[in-house]
This record gives sequence, C-alpha cells and structure tokens, in this order.
Amino acid sequence: MTANRRQNFRPEEDEDAPLVERTLGGDQQAYEQLVRKHEQRVFRTAIAILGELADAEEAMQEAFLKAYQNLPTFRRDARFTTWLTRIAVNESLQILRRRRDAASLDDLEAPLQDLRPSRVEEWYANPERRYATAELKRIVEEAIRALPPAYRVVFLLRDVEELSTEETAEALGLSIPATKSRVLRARLMVREALAAHFEKPPTLRSRLRRATSMVRNMMAMAFERPAGRLGGR
Amino acid sequence: MLTCQEVLDNLSCYLDGEGSEELRRELERHIARCARCFVVVDTTKQTLRIVADCEPFEVPLATSALLYDRLAHFFAGLL
Repeated sequence: MTANRRQNFRPEEDEDAPLVERTLGGDQQAYEQLVRKHEQRVFRTAIAILGELADAEEAMQEAFLKAYQNLPTFRRDARFTTWLTRIAVNESLQILRRRRDAASLDDLEAPLQDLRPSRVEEWYANPERRYATAELKRIVEEAIRALPPAYRVVFLLRDVEELSTEETAEALGLSIPATKSRVLRARLMVREALAAHFEKPPTLRSRLRRATSMVRNMMAMAFERPAGRLGGR
Repeated sequence: MLTCQEVLDNLSCYLDGEGSEELRRELERHIARCARCFVVVDTTKQTLRIVADCEPFEVPLATSALLYDRLAHFFAGLL
C-alpha cells in the first residue's frame, strides 16, 4: 500500500461512490445494486483461487456479507471494487486454508517455469471462428484452469476483468513488479495452451522462414552490437 | 537491436501500450525480421482478444440465486 500506488486515484472518480453512500445511509437496495454490478468480478476472483464451484459460491457469499458489514471502515483511498476484490481474495484464501496449508497467494506460487515459447507456428486467421461459441469458451476456460492459482487470479483480474496493473496489484496485495511478472507468465502460458488448438501445422516454408530470420537476426546483432554483448539470444 | 529475450521481457509492456516510443520502435524492428518473435507477439495479442471476447467463468445463474437468497436472509435478520 505504498503512496505511489494510489497517487492517481481520486475518490470522486469512483463511480460506485453514490451507491456506497446510500448503503451506508441504510439503503439495502443500493447494496443489492452493488452486488449485481460486481458479482461477476467477485466470482472470477473466487473461482480463480479455489477452482471448485461450491467453494467459490461460499467465498462469494462471505465476501459480500463481509463487505456490507465492514463498509463503514472503507476508507475511500481506493475504488470500492478494488477494496471488494481484496475482501474476495481474503475470503477465498481462508477457505483454501481450511482445505490445505496454503496461507497466502505466495504459497500458491508455482516454481518459475521456462518462459521461452515452445509453440511458434502461425495461427489460422481468426482462429476463434473455427469453433462454436460454447466449444471456444471451454477451450479458453481449460487453458486458464491449467494455470497455477496465483497466475490464474492475476490473469482473470488483469485480462478478463481488465483491471489496470496497479489495481490488480492492490487487490491482490502484490508489488507492481510481481504483478507484472505474473501477468506476463500467465499470458504466455495461456497463449501456449491456445496454440495447441489454433496453430497451423508446420510447413517446410515456415521452418525455413524461421531459420532465415534467425540468421538475419544474428547478423544484425553482430553488426550493431559490441562483440561483448553477443551472448544469449 | 533487441534480443529475443528482451522482446519477451517487454511483451506485456508492448501489448498494454506502455513503454517509450523508442522501445516500441525497437520491438517492431525486431519482430519485422524475427519470424519467431513475430508469431509470439502476434499470437499473444490474439490470445488476449479471444479470452476477453469469450467472457470465461461467467457466474452461473444458480450461483447468483444462492447469493441473493443468502443476502435476503441476512437483511431479514437485521430487521
């Protein structure tokens, strides 16, 4: 919760502020509106951490009850949704703790995997059109499900809920560099999983093109860089 | 010229439209001549588009119903 993480946030920018105020004034319908508006994000957070529907349902209910009860302590130094997402993360982690020994998102961290992409064939044009909507959704959800939970939650918040890097970091209690690193890894892992469905079969031409560009690359570096910096690609 | 590893390290930055003009130019210069990085950058971009468009993990209706029931009970208890 460093100051610079919040320096760009002004409370009047929070579009939920009026509903929050009405809820604090005792208007339960205002809170129901907040619930309807944000249930999707809370659900994605919970399912990302917990994996099981029944657990995610429990976490979601607890999160919305806790948020209501603790609303008077909401300090408005972040968006309501960021604060709510943080509660959803904590409720999910508590349920996870009951199930096993993982205590924080860091315990869910998978060992750093090799980032180098292994599937590098081009994809079909508009590859998503090759599948029916439901089938495509299944493929995408499977790819996300296969991520380690610590990456799954970062990916869903950043790339599905479209939070900014700063908001994702804040909601998860992570540093910005840790968030960025997880976002990158998650994106590459999902890309790799989708490639299995979307890439064209390799051709002699595509292999040749890669070999040619590798040589061109090395030549370019040999001419542009001091010799000492040639190591590693 | 950037290395392939540097392209990978700055991939998110590039896709999120962050980073300096110079970095973007360097990156584009690299992928214009590196078939491998071109594919990685292009397909990661496609990945993000496809994922966002298909709205994965939507709340099931029954899950919503359970939540509203629970809240209704809670509010009734407050009366």
